[in-house]
Amino acid sequence: MSGVAYSAGGRAILADVAATFPGGRVSVVLGPNGAGKSTLLKIAAGLLAASAGDVSYGGRAVASFAPAELARTRALLSQHVELAFPLAVEDVVLMGRYPHFGRSPASRDRAVVDAALALVGIADRRRQAYPTLSGGEQQKTQLARVLAQIWSDERSGEPKALFLDEPTANLDVHHQIHILETARELARAGCTVVAVLHDLNTALEFGDRFLLLDAGRVVQMASRREELGADVLERVFQVRARAVADPGRGDVVWRFSR
Amino acid sequence: MARRLSYRQVYWALGTLLALSVLASTTIGAFTFTPREVLRYLSQALGFSPRLAADDLGRSVLVRLRLPRVLLGGLTGAVLGVSGTIMQGLFRNPIVEPGLAGTSACAALGASLMFVFGGTSLLAFASLGSLALPLLAFAGGFAATMLVYRVSSAFGRVNVFTLLLAGIAVNALCNAGTGYLSFIARDPQARNITFWNLGTFTTADWRGVALVAAAFAVCFVWTMRERKALNALMLGEDEAAALGFEPRALILRLIVVNTLMVAVDAALVGVIAFVGLVVPHLLRIARSADYRFLVPASALLGAALMEIVDVAARLVIRPGELPIGILTAVIGAPVFLAMLLHQQRASRMLGVTGD
Repeated sequence: MSGVAYSAGGRAILADVAATFPGGRVSVVLGPNGAGKSTLLKIAAGLLAASAGDVSYGGRAVASFAPAELARTRALLSQHVELAFPLAVEDVVLMGRYPHFGRSPASRDRAVVDAALALVGIADRRRQAYPTLSGGEQQKTQLARVLAQIWSDERSGEPKALFLDEPTANLDVHHQIHILETARELARAGCTVVAVLHDLNTALEFGDRFLLLDAGRVVQMASRREELGADVLERVFQVRARAVADPGRGDVVWRFSR
Repeated sequence: MARRLSYRQVYWALGTLLALSVLASTTIGAFTFTPREVLRYLSQALGFSPRLAADDLGRSVLVRLRLPRVLLGGLTGAVLGVSGTIMQGLFRNPIVEPGLAGTSACAALGASLMFVFGGTSLLAFASLGSLALPLLAFAGGFAATMLVYRVSSAFGRVNVFTLLLAGIAVNALCNAGTGYLSFIARDPQARNITFWNLGTFTTADWRGVALVAAAFAVCFVWTMRERKALNALMLGEDEAAALGFEPRALILRLIVVNTLMVAVDAALVGVIAFVGLVVPHLLRIARSADYRFLVPASALLGAALMEIVDVAARLVIRPGELPIGILTAVIGAPVFLAMLLHQQRASRMLGVTGD
């Protein structure tokens, strides 16, 4: 995307944002509350039209995609979704295949649902009603749904993208790691993964590249986590930041204080 | 857990229930027919066998009174069942239906305007002839649904308590309007306020059946095409958009389709509450919350339930009959309260209030 701006109700949310999210990498969008992270993600995912600027996938403008075609190309996993209705887990995951079939699912769609359920490890819950699952299992179901949506088609092998909007908010550590590692494996297989994450240490651990936003502008684009220094984090988040060595892993963990 | 019924089994069960309830509704009443008589009168009326003078009365009662009533009842049940299903998808909440949200009451207000002023003050509408009634009813129902939807879904999320309160306000306003109109009306049907508030099939005729059937057919076919989108909408508007649906346009289409069939129906039979609430609820318990199943199944179950209720309405205070809405409220209101309690408990457990 280049020169992207967005304003709502006369207030500028994003101004002149340029970014590239390459395939095979996990790009993390960082920034304080109100920096425009979620807006940026929605624009990148084609859910929101930018007021100015261009967004394209592999050189093709996002606006030129038909809605169903776009839905076969990229998926969105957002914060934990609650359902008011007792839909079965497998029926939720099947929704990921809706852009792929007309009236009824083909055998390929059913096979993808099975594979996605198995991949996230909830195949044994497939008949259970979604609202009866724990929050973590519900989010695994949503992950299986978005995986089914952009499940790589061996024949075409087109590049796919996964957008994550704080997918681990309110989840326990086990489910956080499970969901983020699954997304990282997807990136290793060639998919473009773009994530908005709140927790800085989680973000630094999980991401390959970092886009730091503040007040709707790009502050820094870092392609290695070492490039993000204490000074810039302190300035953007208005905290004191201190790097603490983690000898077991040979890297650092950030501690923040007022 | 017991083994789940297959969708095919559920459809067969619902189809059988509908067939039996239609048979009961056709034969039972102030004038009782045996199934054999029904067949004989029908074949005479359709010209397959010579008309016998001795059968004139029975044939006339069956064809002019009973059959339109049975068909109008079944269609009304189907309309209300499908409408409840649509509205619950629209508001993403299982305790919505056209009666509670004010759609039916406002449609009835529109229709009663036509009955009272038709041909005099509303000259523009009078020139539209027989379309004026459904049009005015549609305008009323559409205004009510949009208003309630806008108020309750401000800030992106549907708040169920705001929704119910908005529904109460809209219902009160529309009932006041209809009450006033029925008070000043000269038309005997419009003067009958129970007709508007509690619904009845006693005025059924073939013209009404044709109108409701046409509205239902169009809306049902359309809704069947939106089933995947209704499912996706359960996840939220952003998620539905990410799956390739356009939520804003979808919601508007659903409101139009839903209002159209509910309005035409309410203009002819009045307001019948709670059917739209109970039907999808029963189906979710019986089998699934998947709209690909709920939409057709709610048409079948709605029709069957309405036939059964109508038979009961004819039997309870024989030889008189109860307004339909009394019976649907007796059955539906406790279900509604139970569902409300269930939601309250669920939100308490999650530590949230309000929605």
